[in-house]
Amino acid sequence: MKLKKLLAILFAALLLVSFVKTPAADDSFTVTDMAGREVTFEKPVEKAVALTASDCEIIFALGAEEALVGRGEYCDYPAEVFDIPSLTSGANTNIEQILALEPEVVFLSMMAQTQEQVDQLEKAGVRVVVSDAQDIEGTYTAINLIGQVMGKQTEADQIIDSMKAVFDEIKENPIPGEKTIYFEVSPLQWGLWTAGTGTFMNEVAEMMGLKNCFGDVAGWAAISEEQVLERNPDYIMTITMYFGEGPTPEEEIMARPGWENVTAVKDQNILNLPNNELSRPAPRLAEGAQLLYDFVVESEAAVALAPAA
Amino acid sequence: MTERNGERFRGWEYLLFAAAAVLTLLLSVCVGSVGIPFRTTISVIWRGIWGLEQPAGTAPAILLTSRLPRVLAVMLVGASLSLCGGAMQGLLKNPLADGSTLGVSSGASLGAVIAIAFGITIPGLPFAGTMVMAMVFAFCSLLIILGLAYKLDFSLSTNTIILIGVIFSMFASSVMSIVITFSGEHLRSITFWTMGSLQGSSYLNVLVLLFALLLFGGVILLHARELNAFAIGEENARHVGVNVRRVKLIILIAVSGLIGVCVSIGGTIAFVGLVTPHMVRMLVGPNHKRLLPASIFGGSIFLMLSDLIARTLLNPKELPIGVVTSIIGAVAFVFIYGSARKGR
Amino acid sequence: MLTVRNLSVSYGDLTILKDVSFDLTPGEWLMIVGPNGAGKSTLINAIVGGAPARGSVRFEGREIRSMKPQQVARSIGVLAQSHAVGYSFSVEEVVRLGRYAYAPTIFSGHRGEEEAIRKALEETGLYEQRHQNVLTLSGGELQRTFLAQTFCQDPRLLMLDEPTNHLDLVYQKQVFELIQAWRRREDRAVISVVHDLSMARAYGTRALLLDHGQVVVDGTMEEVFSDEILNRVYGMDVRAWMGRMLAQWKEA
Repeated sequence: MKLKKLLAILFAALLLVSFVKTPAADDSFTVTDMAGREVTFEKPVEKAVALTASDCEIIFALGAEEALVGRGEYCDYPAEVFDIPSLTSGANTNIEQILALEPEVVFLSMMAQTQEQVDQLEKAGVRVVVSDAQDIEGTYTAINLIGQVMGKQTEADQIIDSMKAVFDEIKENPIPGEKTIYFEVSPLQWGLWTAGTGTFMNEVAEMMGLKNCFGDVAGWAAISEEQVLERNPDYIMTITMYFGEGPTPEEEIMARPGWENVTAVKDQNILNLPNNELSRPAPRLAEGAQLLYDFVVESEAAVALAPAA
Repeated sequence: MTERNGERFRGWEYLLFAAAAVLTLLLSVCVGSVGIPFRTTISVIWRGIWGLEQPAGTAPAILLTSRLPRVLAVMLVGASLSLCGGAMQGLLKNPLADGSTLGVSSGASLGAVIAIAFGITIPGLPFAGTMVMAMVFAFCSLLIILGLAYKLDFSLSTNTIILIGVIFSMFASSVMSIVITFSGEHLRSITFWTMGSLQGSSYLNVLVLLFALLLFGGVILLHARELNAFAIGEENARHVGVNVRRVKLIILIAVSGLIGVCVSIGGTIAFVGLVTPHMVRMLVGPNHKRLLPASIFGGSIFLMLSDLIARTLLNPKELPIGVVTSIIGAVAFVFIYGSARKGR
Repeated sequence: MLTVRNLSVSYGDLTILKDVSFDLTPGEWLMIVGPNGAGKSTLINAIVGGAPARGSVRFEGREIRSMKPQQVARSIGVLAQSHAVGYSFSVEEVVRLGRYAYAPTIFSGHRGEEEAIRKALEETGLYEQRHQNVLTLSGGELQRTFLAQTFCQDPRLLMLDEPTNHLDLVYQKQVFELIQAWRRREDRAVISVVHDLSMARAYGTRALLLDHGQVVVDGTMEEVFSDEILNRVYGMDVRAWMGRMLAQWKEA
């Protein structure tokens, strides 16, 4: 973890240096992307493709969506993204489909795409910028990087500042009392999955003074129901989507046999954030963190009031 | 009269197999992701059975609502899939026949995925929509696969039928991908579902599985003699007076019903139906009057142990149960195929 | 005993059998002979309902098509050309299936079952080998195992489809002797498709010569085995060839 953070800071520093070095005479500039590759641009980009959902979100947040000529099939936020032509991504990426849009740059993540795809795109004369944020610090780097490329440096700084403001506020007022939280990524019906260390959910939990029940698990992982019962979380956050039929995800968790003695269920401390607020390296991380923080603070307040009432 | 007993399962053999199954069941209930002392386990279950007051702590919830129903579901799914495998291998006289190699499981999955994607439900009965769709698709898949196999090669030789099964499996998977692409917002739940899990099985699931096993499994067991005849040869079966068409239809319905129920509850669990009947055949011989009951016990033991490994190996993480059975199953598959070709 | 009238089998445009009619009375051993592709095996199959046929086949006055499979099996036993058993069943397990037609459900074992199985095993000389794995049997032993299964069915009519095709001469004779002994008991008859005319001549009481799906001659052995007819159908000097075969026979 520490090494990753260090690297991220290093990259940020490098970026800054490269920015400063850019000669003012012409519009050309060079950025170092998150895979450490140097990419030079003659002028701010006017036609871009983003294959990763988070990059897409960042471009929209920067107000640079006019330049977006194509997006990955799994990009789903904000709603306007659906007006932009959809492209296959991941293992099914269709290079020709991308080239047909004649973008100046393709944003992608090495988590989903492969080196061969990058090579193919570059051979065809398309610049590739890799954004691979693993944590919040990395998300700032990604926002900064994309801001530079899209010529929206000011907007990028604003977004980062407002995110930092939210996180700083949370860090300054942590939740007292060593409360624990369990993140549910997949519901019991399909087999439980949780988010452990190295995930945004874990980072946000730590930031607000909550302890992740499954801090001993790395990444997203399938876990035993009995472990959840044994670890008895004070809070549960689920990301299960609700389709408008049957019980809501919160109701479904509360109705599970054997879970009635879990503190989170007893106190009804279950929050549903189904729209990837806390799963993607995008500006919405701050919103998600705020939602979770407010929920926990309110619940704590209600509990604190209860004995008095 | 001793001769007659020679063909059936003897009492002590039943006892032996049942004892092994009960021991495995006990082991599976006592060992888990969360360590609970043996004494507590026994006391909680005893109190649970008689509805007595439970001690404080998480043990009762873990044992009674999480571990026990799951282990029971695993036991019944293992027994059902293994019984189906044994029946198919006899009916088609093909040692490689099984729900997964014939593509029946993929067909059932496709049905279930369609039910999830298009929100097909039966009012008042959650899960029934998925289950019925899985059963119907399992049966249709079997009809398609066998129909094609008959068209191409009337003798239903091992190679043809396995080839068609594999082709059908791939076809079903592609259709499943298409359905998933169109399902949009249901995507995530489907993705997790296809990985298969018996976690979160409820006592209701257990009851449904038990009912299915009693009904469909009972039908299969009652046709042990006919399966013997088919295993010796379909033509011979007709000559000794077996109503070939009717028996085949009955067995196929029972098998797809049972596989459909299992798939809708636990997803596709490969290789149990293929491997266990073989291991059991080595122990008790090919006679279905012995093979089928022994497969029930053998399958439940095999799957309970696989599940135990899946639950505890990477504690607190879980392995998908299908991964464990596939690893063991793949090795066994090669071994069986090798020995089958040598003519045993 | 058996009345066959206008039996025809065709697959699409291909006609395999055309209007075959004959009668069979108890005590007879009817040899169905004819060149390859004459429709001999199809005739056997069509009689027990194993091939899609038109026409009428009556056993003791009852249309076979209207009988239940188990009823048919109690009346008519069929011994196929060859057998490929899938799994390592024991001789006795294969023979036991011959009693399938006598027990309607898996629970209703019946009194005569063990006795019938023992008798069939003894008659075919397999009693000592009854626990042996059928996959380890020789071709002759395997054919006798299935013959025992047919005996076990206790049928009145036995139909054999080239039952000794793959066997050595010694085994061929062994099987035919067993069938001969069985036929001589009361009220029984045999129909067999035989490729080997010398064998047909040695055991048959009557013969039916088929060619291109039609009956050429139906009559006594002498009538059917006349030089003129055989040479016409087979297109060769059958008599001389048969003489050579018969000589080999005697040696065996």
